[in-house]
Amino acid sequence: MSAFLLRRFAQAVLLLFIVSMIGFAILHLAPGGPLSQFAAGGEMAQQDLDRIAEQLGLNRPSPIQYAEWLGRMLAGDWGHSYRDGQPVLHVIASHIGATLELMLTSTLLAMLIGAWIGILGAIRRYSMFDSLATVGAMIALSIPTFWFGLVVIYVFSVWLGWLPAGNRYTIGDGSLLNRVHHLVGPVMVLALVSTAVWSRYMRSSMLEVVNQDYVRTARAKGLPERSILIRHALRNALLPMITIAGLHVPTLLSGALVTETIFTWPGMGRLFLDSINYRDYPVVMGILMFTAVLVLLGSLVADLLYGIADPRISRSG
Amino acid sequence: MTERNSKAAAYHRRDLMALMLSAGAGSLLAPISFAQAQGKVPAPPAKPRGQVIAGISQEPTVFNPLMPGSEVDQGVWWQLFSPLWFIAPDGQFVPDLAREVPSVTNGGISADGLTWKIKLRTDAKWHDGTPFTAEDVKFTLDLINTPGFRARNRVGHSLVKDIAIAAPDEIHWRMKRAYSPYLSILALTFIVPGHILGKAGDPNTAPFNSAPVGTGPFRWGERVAGDRVLLQASTAYHGSGPHLERIVFKYIPDLTALYTQFRTGQVDYLGIGGIPAYFAKEAEALKGVRVIRSPTPFIEHIALNLEFAPFADKAVREALYLAMDKQARIDAIYYGLPVATESFLPRESWAFEPQLAVHKHDPAKANALLDAAGWTRGGDGIRQKNGVRLAFSNSTTAGNLGREQSQQLLQQDWKQIGAEMKIANMPAAVIWGEFWQKSKFESVTVGSNFMIGSDPDVTPRFGSRSIPAKQGAGLNTYQYQNPELDRLLELGASQFDQAERRKTYGQVQRIVRDDLVLLPVYQSVMAEGLKDGLTGFAANINCSSNCWNMREWYWAR
Amino acid sequence: MSFVNIDRTDGLPAQRFWSRPGFKRFRRHKLAVFGTLAIIALTLACIVGPWLLPYSDTYIDIRARFALPFSGPHILGTDPLGRDVLARLLMAGRISLAVGFAAMMIAMAIGICVGLVAGFYEGVVGAALMRLVDAMLCFPSIFLLLAISALIQPSVPSIVLLIAATSWMEVARVVEAQIRSLKTREFAQAAVSFGASNKRIMFRELLPNAVAPIVVAATLNVAHAILAESYISFLGYGIQAPTPSWGNMLESAQSYLTSAPWLAILPGLAITLAVTSFNFVGDGLRDALDPRMDLP
Repeated sequence: MSAFLLRRFAQAVLLLFIVSMIGFAILHLAPGGPLSQFAAGGEMAQQDLDRIAEQLGLNRPSPIQYAEWLGRMLAGDWGHSYRDGQPVLHVIASHIGATLELMLTSTLLAMLIGAWIGILGAIRRYSMFDSLATVGAMIALSIPTFWFGLVVIYVFSVWLGWLPAGNRYTIGDGSLLNRVHHLVGPVMVLALVSTAVWSRYMRSSMLEVVNQDYVRTARAKGLPERSILIRHALRNALLPMITIAGLHVPTLLSGALVTETIFTWPGMGRLFLDSINYRDYPVVMGILMFTAVLVLLGSLVADLLYGIADPRISRSG
Repeated sequence: MTERNSKAAAYHRRDLMALMLSAGAGSLLAPISFAQAQGKVPAPPAKPRGQVIAGISQEPTVFNPLMPGSEVDQGVWWQLFSPLWFIAPDGQFVPDLAREVPSVTNGGISADGLTWKIKLRTDAKWHDGTPFTAEDVKFTLDLINTPGFRARNRVGHSLVKDIAIAAPDEIHWRMKRAYSPYLSILALTFIVPGHILGKAGDPNTAPFNSAPVGTGPFRWGERVAGDRVLLQASTAYHGSGPHLERIVFKYIPDLTALYTQFRTGQVDYLGIGGIPAYFAKEAEALKGVRVIRSPTPFIEHIALNLEFAPFADKAVREALYLAMDKQARIDAIYYGLPVATESFLPRESWAFEPQLAVHKHDPAKANALLDAAGWTRGGDGIRQKNGVRLAFSNSTTAGNLGREQSQQLLQQDWKQIGAEMKIANMPAAVIWGEFWQKSKFESVTVGSNFMIGSDPDVTPRFGSRSIPAKQGAGLNTYQYQNPELDRLLELGASQFDQAERRKTYGQVQRIVRDDLVLLPVYQSVMAEGLKDGLTGFAANINCSSNCWNMREWYWAR
Repeated sequence: MSFVNIDRTDGLPAQRFWSRPGFKRFRRHKLAVFGTLAIIALTLACIVGPWLLPYSDTYIDIRARFALPFSGPHILGTDPLGRDVLARLLMAGRISLAVGFAAMMIAMAIGICVGLVAGFYEGVVGAALMRLVDAMLCFPSIFLLLAISALIQPSVPSIVLLIAATSWMEVARVVEAQIRSLKTREFAQAAVSFGASNKRIMFRELLPNAVAPIVVAATLNVAHAILAESYISFLGYGIQAPTPSWGNMLESAQSYLTSAPWLAILPGLAITLAVTSFNFVGDGLRDALDPRMDLP
């Protein structure tokens, strides 16, 4: 077991190196740079851009810039944003709260509601409920979230006036009620797709379990249906859910980019988009590494749990 | 509004303003006092009251006013800092930190333009209580010229030498050569505190840059990264105002969301970018808000790379201009908001030349022109001459709805005269880099401000030594070279008499228009949204932001 | 060699395609049938439709802008530049569906190869490949969007490559897990003991038995690709004007949500219909091809 963990750890470190190299290369190969946005106004000319690029060290060859970045990174210095000069970790930390708030709420809601729908649908297979739930889930999965978000804002904020048109809270009123009021819109949009996804997962997982031999045995033994479901089936059906949940951890922090933009939610997704648009290399690399670590962690946890659930799968990977 | 009407109105307004100023109505109050004199608007409150939430579509991230910043950053700088003087909407220079604006007549500037003597205020204070002195001005100018400092640009500042502090309230310096645009440049240069920034080890990364201290009407409150910037009223301000307790610059990246929040009342002022044209009409019908159409100094034009073979031929440029349906673009796509123009200067500028050749939409004449110039149609309908096809790309910032629609309209218009235009849009970070600066484009749809403050010196734009692609220093990305124009530009920059300069720059505009260095389309007019009751707003094409006078704003009820 | 016939279940005659139990199950799945018919109808409409309409999808007629649907010569109205919405919708369908299919093909090809090799060989090769999959998954798709859109001018081929590049990983994972578990089954071990070559085992023993999840993954991949294209175009990195795609029609319609809602509703409906249909088909296939469904 420890050999396995050690091996995976070594692989993860190697992977992080590769990811950082590829990421850095792509960023620096892409045309345009962090100063171009200032040149748009016409105040700065090429010689000004060149002068500042030199001061920032941007005109040196990419491998040297990468080596410097890597060296500082390993020493714990994630660099400073080109846009406001703040430390990258500080920038990320100031945006994570908003994203966590949004993603945790919508994911928990989606998991609870989705699991309930999925289980019920699996138990009462082919019933009216199941058919409706299936069709509903399929359609929900197929709706482009940004389109749905725009519709939600138009209907609930502009037309009906029930919900605010965005932001985390009204400036000057940070009360819980106010925050919850502002959460309703974006959570509705995000949870729609997530609920559909979770309900499908839960349903198929439950179906698989319900058709297993041990369930048939329990039924043959004469146990009440309810206790079979809860005690035996559910527990085994939830196991793969946990592994899938593990894989979803990175999305918790990368945020829903487009939803954050439409609902003016100051989170990680929007930070990433802005940083890429403005070529804020240090912040982009910071978020990239952050996400990479989470993905690898989630993948490791998922594999571990999968191995526990199904001992037949050899752990040679 | 026809050209003549707007000109007449502008002159009338200008006369009125001049009258009021000479009557000593108090320069900083000029924009509102006219309305107040009419008894229409209630006076500002005795103490600062209320807050304004200004919605902007880019995030302000730079708070050192000497470093590179975008328009939204400038909006914040106008509240925190003060320049030596600024330019009012009518073009008059109004002293701010200086006691009077130097000129050749009052002796502030020597007759040869080389010695400058500025008298400064004695009652201005920094937000931390320290009095403002000439040391701060010297520090600012020195800092800009410091090699290691990431100054925005050094145009004009690099000509300053021998700065001497004659007294705590008087500063002298000499210029390397006479350069009249420097007056305008200083109107946009904010003074920074020497006693704070001077102590920092590296001014580029000083803590001052995220907690700025200035002499402006508002002091630094807080910044929530990615969301907003909060500014508080400064009670020790040396000028009139402020009348607001707080200003919040709220960052809303999505234009539709920004407009929606303005509609639903979460945003009090929608400016800097303004309300997009397609919402403007609807916005004007909304209750509780009003929409103000403000002229901007930005001239929307098709920039042509004159080294690109087909564009080097003047007949092609003329034909393309004739085939452009300007009116349809302005009326249909922009709902009549902007104003068609032939010049690169806004009509509000003192140097604007009204007598330029007027555009006519005439595809038949365009076809005739091209036929006569030897551009014959090929099998696919596209013209060619000596093996060169009349095919080119047109680029602009991706995501700009109005421009994208305009490009498609233009594409169809130009197809009719046998020119093939391909749309190749790219994100802002890409297009304004080397692609634009080093003239790697074929044609670009862009809106530029050709002035420096209120100064019409366009040497960086059209001078033959200002071509970056040819190792020059400037913004002549069109790669235009004309010795006659160079001569006129040099003349204009050395003259100090406005009447004479107007003549010179009139000729410059005529040459640029006749040669069709660029294809002028319209002067951008911004639709700014204000909640009812918010008074004091005044558009100003001579400042970098329409937030320049937020110290005058207040809630009328 | 007589071992060639080991693939066939001995004795039973080959059945006709449409009376196979799998297909029967698929036919019973009403939603899947609906999905299939919808896809066929949509594809036909998009291929043939534009030729039948009197209006072109790119002709700008400024005077006819914002015509309401069902109110004049333009059946579904016109857009802000006066172009016929129905024509644009169908032409956009061509692009979006083509992008979806093409991206799926490429993603499947890459994913199957990687998953097959990784699942079969396991060991160092398997670990290396799966770690490569992990590495690719570390990059948020927006990052790869930047890369390709920055290095090459965004065009239909580059969008296809981009979508494929961000969706082959799931396929590889599914295939790898399936191959790994199939390897332990009797028929595979029998083939090994008969001395079959690695290539033969992979392609003629394991892969055909992994067809079920692969086919399901394929249909879901198309659905995902169509959504991805709309997402990319919404961010501005996708299909460029004046070529219409459902995604960029949505992107330019968001500013007119209050004044001309049909401009946003119609492409949104089209996307939802197409993606839902593919999801239904995928679901039906999953049910149809799952052998355990035969058990009571």
